[in-house]
Amino acid sequence: MILTTAWLVLLTMILGIGVTPLPAAAQPAGTLVVGLVAEPVNLDPAQVTDLNSNRVGRRIAETLVTFPDESTQVVPGLAESWTVSRDGLRYTFKLRKGISFHDGTPLDAEAVKFSIERQIRPEHPFNKLGKYPFANYFFGNVKAVEVVDPLTVEFILKEPRASFLAILAAGAASIVSPTAVRKFGADYALTPVGTGPFKYVSWDRGQRVVLEKNPGYWKFPVKVDRVVYRPIVEDQARLTELMTGTLDLMVGAPPDFVAQLEKNPSVTLLRQVGAHVWYLGINNQKKPLDDKRVRQAMNYAVNKEAIVRDVLKGTGSMSAGPVLPGTWGADAGLKPYPYDPARARKLLAEAGFPNGFSTTLWVPESGSGMQSPVAMSTVIQSNLKAVGINVALQTFEWGAFIAKLRSKEQELFALSWMAGNEDPDMVMYPLLHSSQWTPGGPNRAMYRNDKFDELLHQARLSTDEKRRAELYRQAQRILVDDPPWIFIDHEIQTAAHAKRVQGFKLHPSFDLRVETISLSR
Amino acid sequence: MKRYLARRLLLLVPVLAGVSIIVFMVLHLSPGDPVEIMLGTQATQEDRARLRADLGLDQPLHVQYVRWLGHVVRGDLGRSLWMRRPVLGEVLGRLQATLVLTGTALLLSTTLGIALGVASATRPNSLLDRLSAMASLFGASMPSFWLGIVLMVVFALWLGWLPASGMYAPYGGGDLRDLLAHLALPAVTLAAASVTIIARLTRATMLETLGQDYVRTARAKGVVERAVVLRHALKNAMIPIITVVGVQAGYLLGGAVLTETVFAWPGVGTLMVQGILARDFPLVQGCVLVVALSFVLVNLAVDLLYAWFDPRIRYE
Repeated sequence: MILTTAWLVLLTMILGIGVTPLPAAAQPAGTLVVGLVAEPVNLDPAQVTDLNSNRVGRRIAETLVTFPDESTQVVPGLAESWTVSRDGLRYTFKLRKGISFHDGTPLDAEAVKFSIERQIRPEHPFNKLGKYPFANYFFGNVKAVEVVDPLTVEFILKEPRASFLAILAAGAASIVSPTAVRKFGADYALTPVGTGPFKYVSWDRGQRVVLEKNPGYWKFPVKVDRVVYRPIVEDQARLTELMTGTLDLMVGAPPDFVAQLEKNPSVTLLRQVGAHVWYLGINNQKKPLDDKRVRQAMNYAVNKEAIVRDVLKGTGSMSAGPVLPGTWGADAGLKPYPYDPARARKLLAEAGFPNGFSTTLWVPESGSGMQSPVAMSTVIQSNLKAVGINVALQTFEWGAFIAKLRSKEQELFALSWMAGNEDPDMVMYPLLHSSQWTPGGPNRAMYRNDKFDELLHQARLSTDEKRRAELYRQAQRILVDDPPWIFIDHEIQTAAHAKRVQGFKLHPSFDLRVETISLSR
Repeated sequence: MKRYLARRLLLLVPVLAGVSIIVFMVLHLSPGDPVEIMLGTQATQEDRARLRADLGLDQPLHVQYVRWLGHVVRGDLGRSLWMRRPVLGEVLGRLQATLVLTGTALLLSTTLGIALGVASATRPNSLLDRLSAMASLFGASMPSFWLGIVLMVVFALWLGWLPASGMYAPYGGGDLRDLLAHLALPAVTLAAASVTIIARLTRATMLETLGQDYVRTARAKGVVERAVVLRHALKNAMIPIITVVGVQAGYLLGGAVLTETVFAWPGVGTLMVQGILARDFPLVQGCVLVVALSFVLVNLAVDLLYAWFDPRIRYE
C-alpha cells in the first residue's frame, strides 16, 4: 500500500508539473516585474534607512527639489522655483500649482510643513508614529518651516548650510499627504500616499509589493500600468528569473555573474557609477598611523587596479578621493595614487619603519554598499604585507562591526559611504571634518586637518556654487597630501533587464526610476 | 488519555518560557544592537539615543524581558522594531507558507523514505539496495542550499520546466497548479536529506523485523509475501521510524530557513533571517516561539501515534 502511495505521489508530481513544461505565464503588456535584493521594510520615506525600501517608496512620494535622470545636480521638483536669502538662512519655495496627492487632496504649503515637522518636533501629534531615523542628521539645522501662502513655504535654518538643497532631495524630505497620515496613523508606512508617478496598491509580505500608475502624474504620462516588486535574496534565483523571462529588471548583478549576463543575448546589462565611496579607514590618531608618510606609503602600496579588475570584475572605478569624479565639486586634476611598492617602502623608511610594522584590519562580512569586503580586504592585506606591513584581518558581522567602530580602538577598517547625491559637503564634512569624530559623528578615521576643516566650513557658508567648487578642490588636494584613508573605489552599480524594457537608466543616487520605462511588445 | 494530553500541554509552558529566555539572552548578548543597524553609518549620537529610548532599549535587560513577557501572556508578541508592525500578525501570515513547504517535504520524505527502505530490506544487496545506499550518502552529505541552486539551474534555467523562486507567479497564477509548480523544487530540496535518513532507518529495522519468528510463522501459514512485508513486518517496525520522522519534522522546520532563503519562499524562515540581521528582537523571538511551539506539538503527535501503531502502549 505504502509503496503504491509513494509511487503515486511521485508520479503525480512528475506528470503534473515536471514533464509537461509550464506554459510561460504570458507577460501582461503593461506590467513590469522588478527583482529586488531584499524586501522593503517600510514605505514611509521619512522612516526608511535601506536602499530597497527607498527604491519603492520614492515612486510614491516626491520631494520639493529633485535630480534629473542622469546626475545628482539639484533641479526643481514639487517646487517650481526657490530663493535663498543673502545670509543663507531662509529658503523660500514656490510650489507648483494643481498637483494633488493620490488621495485627491491638494499639495500645498501646509503639507510641506507637516511632512518635515512631524519628524523634528517632539510635540507634533504624529511625531511618535514613526522613528524618523535621520531627523537630526538631515533636519537638525532646521529652526522652523513656515507657511507664507498656500503655495509658498519657507524653511528657516539655524546656521547657513549650502548643501541644504541637496538634503531636500533626500527621501526623508518627501512630501506626504497629511490627510493620509492622519487617517492611517502608524500604518501609514504600509499604505503610503504621495504625489509620485505610482500609487500604492498592495503588499503580500515576503512575496511582492504592487504599485499602479498615477494617471494624473504632473510631470509626464507614465507608460507602465503596474509595477510588481519581488524580493529575491539569492543571486542565482534572481538571475534565473531574469533569464527565463519572469523578471523584467533586476538590480545588483554580483561581480561573478557580470560576464554571464553580458554574453546573454536576451538581456541588457547596465552599469552606472554611483555616489558612493569605498575606503580603507586609518585611525589617524594612533601611532604609527598618525604619520602622514605612513598613510601615503599605504596608498602607494595598494593595487587598486587589481582590486577593481579581479575582485570587483569591473563593478568599481578607482578612487582618488571621497568626491565622485565628473561632478561639479570634483577636482578634475586629481589622479588616484599609483601602485608603487618601491615608493611605499621608501616612505616607510623615511618615517622610521624600514622593516614595516604590524597592525589590525577590521572588516564587516557584508553590509550595504560594502561590495565584496572580505575579498577586497584580503588583497589589501597581501599588498601591505609586500611592503612590510603585517596586517591581521578580523571579520565581523555588520551590526557588531559598526558598534565596534565607536570604541575608537580601530587601527584599519573597511567602510563605505553612500551620500545619495554629489554635493561634496555630504561626503567630506561628515566623514572627515574634525567636529564629526566618532562616536558623535561618522568621522571614524578621527581625521583632523585644520586647513581642511576651515575650507569645508567656508564652503558651507557660501551659496555660490563656483566659489564652493573652488574651496572643495583645494580641500581635495589636501586629502591627497595628507591622506585620511587608503582610497579604493566608487561602486559601479549594475542592473540587467529584458529586451522589452525600454528607456531605463540607472541613477547615480542608487534610486531605481522605473517611471521612465516603457514596455515594447 | 485526556489527563496525559492535558499534562503534556501544560508542560508546554515551561518549555516555551525556557526557549524565550534563551533566545532573549542570546540575541541581546550578541554584539551589535538594532539601533546601530537601523541607522547605519550616517547616524548622529542624538538620533541614536532618541531611537534607543523610543524602542525601550535603554532599559535594563530584565526590565525589557519582563515587559515583553507581560505582553506575550496577553497574546501580544509586540511590534517589530524595524517594520513597526505587530509581530504576531507578521509571523502567522508567514507560518502558512512554511507549513505548506515543510508539510510537503515531510510527506515526500516519509513516503519515499519508507518505500525505499522497505524495497531495500526485502531485496538486500540487490542493485536497488546499493543504489539507494549511494543516493543516501549523497543526500545526507550535500548542503541543502547547494542542492537547491543545482536543482534551480537544471530545472528552471536549463530545462525551463519549473519556476525558480517564489510561492506564486508574480501575476496571474494563484491556483493549486501554480502553487505545486513553485513548491516542487524547494520541497524536493528540503526533503532530500530526510529521505535518506528515513530510508536507511527503515531498511535496518525492517531487516531486523523480517528475521523475527512471527514473520516466519506468517510465511509458513501461507500469507502472501506482500502482506507479510507490509502488514506484519512494517507495522511492527514503525515505532522507531515514527520517532525519526518526528525528529525529521523538527529538522525540516529548522532547515526551511535556508531553503526558503534560496527560493524566496515567503515563510517564517526568511522572516527570521531578516529579523536576525536587523537584530529585530521581538520579531526573532516571535518566530522562534512559533517554531518551537510547532516542534513541541509535532513531538506530542508522534508520542500519540506510538499508541496507534502499538496497542500495547497506553497513556494514563
